[in-house]
Amino acid sequence: MKGEKRKVILKEKKVEIPLAKEELEVVGKQVIRKDGYEKVTGRLKFGADFDKAGFLHGKVLRSPHAHALIKKVDVEKAKALPGVVAILTAEDVPGRNGFGAIIPDQPVICGEKVRFIGDGVALVAAESEEAAIEALKLIDVEYEPLSAVFSPVEAMKPGAPKVHENGNLLTTVRIRKGDTEKGFQEAEVIVEQTYSLPFVEHAYMEPDVAMAIPHEDGTITVKGPMQAPFTVRRNIAPVLHIPISKVQCVQTHLGGGFGGKEDSSIDIGVRAALLAWKTKRPVRMEYEREEVTLSTAKRHPMIIQCKVGAKRDGTLTALEGTIYNEQGAYASLGPIIPPAGGTHAHAVIMLPGPYVIPHVKVDGYLVYTNHPYGGAMRGFGAPQVNFVHESIIDELAEALQMNPYDLRMKNCFELGSVTATGQVLDQSIALKETMRSAADQFEWFKRWRPPPSKEEVEKVEKRRGVGMAIGWYRTSIGTFSDGCGANVYVHEDGSVILHTGITEMGQGSHTVLAQIAAEELGVRIEDVRIVVPDTDIVPEAGPTVGSRSTTLMGNAIIMASQAVKASILEAASEILGVPAERLVARNRLIFDRDDQTRGVEFKEAARRALATGKRMMGQGWWAPPRPSFDVETGQGYPYFVYTYNTQMAEVEVDTKTGHVEVIKVVACFDIGRAINPILVEGQIEGGIMMGLGYAMMEEVLLKEGKVQNLNFQDYMIPTAMDAPEIVPMILEDPNRYGPFGAKGIGEMPNIPTAPAIINAVANAVGVRIRDLPAHSEKVFHAMRGRRG
Amino acid sequence: MKRILKLHVNGEDFEILTEIHKTLLEVLREDLGLTGTKRGCDLGTCGACTVLIDGKPHLSCLTLTADVQGKKITTIEGLAQDGQLHPLQKAFAEKGAIQCGFCTPGMILTAKALLDEDPHPSEEKVKKAISGNLCRCTGYVKIVDAILSVTDKSSES
Repeated sequence: MKGEKRKVILKEKKVEIPLAKEELEVVGKQVIRKDGYEKVTGRLKFGADFDKAGFLHGKVLRSPHAHALIKKVDVEKAKALPGVVAILTAEDVPGRNGFGAIIPDQPVICGEKVRFIGDGVALVAAESEEAAIEALKLIDVEYEPLSAVFSPVEAMKPGAPKVHENGNLLTTVRIRKGDTEKGFQEAEVIVEQTYSLPFVEHAYMEPDVAMAIPHEDGTITVKGPMQAPFTVRRNIAPVLHIPISKVQCVQTHLGGGFGGKEDSSIDIGVRAALLAWKTKRPVRMEYEREEVTLSTAKRHPMIIQCKVGAKRDGTLTALEGTIYNEQGAYASLGPIIPPAGGTHAHAVIMLPGPYVIPHVKVDGYLVYTNHPYGGAMRGFGAPQVNFVHESIIDELAEALQMNPYDLRMKNCFELGSVTATGQVLDQSIALKETMRSAADQFEWFKRWRPPPSKEEVEKVEKRRGVGMAIGWYRTSIGTFSDGCGANVYVHEDGSVILHTGITEMGQGSHTVLAQIAAEELGVRIEDVRIVVPDTDIVPEAGPTVGSRSTTLMGNAIIMASQAVKASILEAASEILGVPAERLVARNRLIFDRDDQTRGVEFKEAARRALATGKRMMGQGWWAPPRPSFDVETGQGYPYFVYTYNTQMAEVEVDTKTGHVEVIKVVACFDIGRAINPILVEGQIEGGIMMGLGYAMMEEVLLKEGKVQNLNFQDYMIPTAMDAPEIVPMILEDPNRYGPFGAKGIGEMPNIPTAPAIINAVANAVGVRIRDLPAHSEKVFHAMRGRRG
Repeated sequence: MKRILKLHVNGEDFEILTEIHKTLLEVLREDLGLTGTKRGCDLGTCGACTVLIDGKPHLSCLTLTADVQGKKITTIEGLAQDGQLHPLQKAFAEKGAIQCGFCTPGMILTAKALLDEDPHPSEEKVKKAISGNLCRCTGYVKIVDAILSVTDKSSES
């Protein structure tokens, strides 16, 4: 049927429409992103591009101490400086002096003590940026330094300096499945190792900015690159001590987010709002790049002990793990949002990997320290634990003298598998197919050889090796509050407005969501306009995180579209004299399913619908099946569906210098359905490069609590010169809950890349890096140690 | 201290009364309202502020405005001619070379300077040319493809 066309007569007009009903018009197509032309011309305005005229300039005075009591803050000299309009300290906060995505434990302005270098001690608003900067220097703060703690292991010890009143252990999450003692008795080979992962910076290209505008009616508008405008709003209201309904948050296009702007937009948004509220004037704040790196959330560092046992034939018998997850100074997105939300629970749930293991025991500790804080970053705890399970599986394969592919294939999830949390995977699971497809493409069996001996490595200057890793990643966030709404408005000319609170940060959600609306309504993508997410206008959508946008919001949009489409079909039914149930809407046409020569244009039906008083808007609300999870036993159904992925990497290691070049990455994904394949590829390629950075070069360096590499001359991220050949592959095993079968894609690509590369390094030169990043020096020393 | 600076930007002449110490990035964004040029790091390390000065890519955050008086400055706003997008702009939009778009203006201008100098660069040369322009979203794959696609077209014609 594909490609066939039939002529349809529309009131003397002849139009061609595609015949095959099962063929979708907009979904699954390489639709060019809706904001593309605005972006290539420089016309699209990012937050910092809006006119500054009329705004005061806001700045934050930051703590130079990692842990100290604030004895006195003298603002008199600063206040006297010409151009300074306000200096705010803790006592000026009208409401709750705290913010946070989950727990409001981070002071808007610290009053009693500071907990990390970068904590906010005072806020300044001035007529010019220069005056604001000058004023910061004139604020006199007297500190009494306290002993600080910089490691989660140290912070858990009795007598460790207390970062917060209630102690340093923020959350404990466990998994108890079977009996690991028995499992290890059954094992014939056991591998036990410790791995560590560093703080990593999101390095979104656009620094944070916020504009806060107070209004005479007691409301306030805050604009900026917000990844989750509803979370920002939820934080501003209690700080200003006003109802949520009086706070309007308007998103500007994000110049990248990657999880970071879920947190940072709260930080800067709350502070700008407070300054505007107190001065009764519009206030603009923009963080310098160094300030972004110093003070905003990062990927959690973790120290993870892991032990895995298997039979001689490779059958896994048990896994034990202990995660020391460093939260840093504030809770951010670390702790539990019931039942399974938050980075920490996700990390614990993901540690056993996509493997069937009868006996599992995991203890995960989330611990405060006096470092900057960990938050959401692409993968949300999964990149860390994936590095661990994919490294240790390779180490086990080596001990078993097995091909690591075979060991994975023997144990990994398939339809009907039961996870470590007791969840039965009963649909949309093509992990093994991703392995097979990737292996074919990569020619895994032709290229993989056992790791070389020391002598072999020393013989040549450059050695190549291959490595693989597999992974799984949830769609949704595992909270009870994971619902989202959409409104769809159809106008009499057939054009459509879509209200969604899911934000566009480059991933292409506003193209994909418009595609879904267009498909469901039977119009073209260009007919659908998405308004900028504005909390005064769009329904609650939850945050744009957790690879949830396409699936959850897509479903809400389908529901909303169907609701309004009913009116349009009813009007078309009246025009055509055909029952509405028989009508099909496609590509701006509505026609009789049983007699496709009878049809009417979508816009004509829309015009009639309006003229006859029919409902011209549709609302949709969708939440995933209710999650369950017990933090003590780790049992439950935390997330309703998962994306699966296999990545294979080839590297070349310079045996004289330790320099690693990644030559090629093949990555195959089961994502249910690709709504827009070119955007999916973009997510894959970008995620893999970010994963390459995690493997090879990225690390926020800290010395006595202070970030050492604040800008891109020291904090390295991959450049085009680091880019390997990337082969993205998409498999579609439909998700029964998904819009057109879709599952999430945003985060998955960023997850197995690092272990695939590190496994390839081990395969090339026989040394294993267990603490990221594997920069040249580390690989060099590891090789020298081996030669030792 | 304010002075009158004479600038030639995107084919137009401007006389601007502004602080003498301002960088070209600041003058473009604040005095001329050309906000297509982005400030990513303010330290010359990310490339988002790249503009063309006499056809060569320069980091406008490290360029003193007073030093480029009389020179031909091109920003992203000046790339389309008579409402027609430059082939690179078109290729970036259509080949998936854009995600968040923050690096895009600088990236396109760097690519233009390369193609003006060498209309048929190798992939390696393209990668090298844009290695000073950081992109955190795309993994560079589709950016390189988009740039190479423009060279393909010119070789066909």
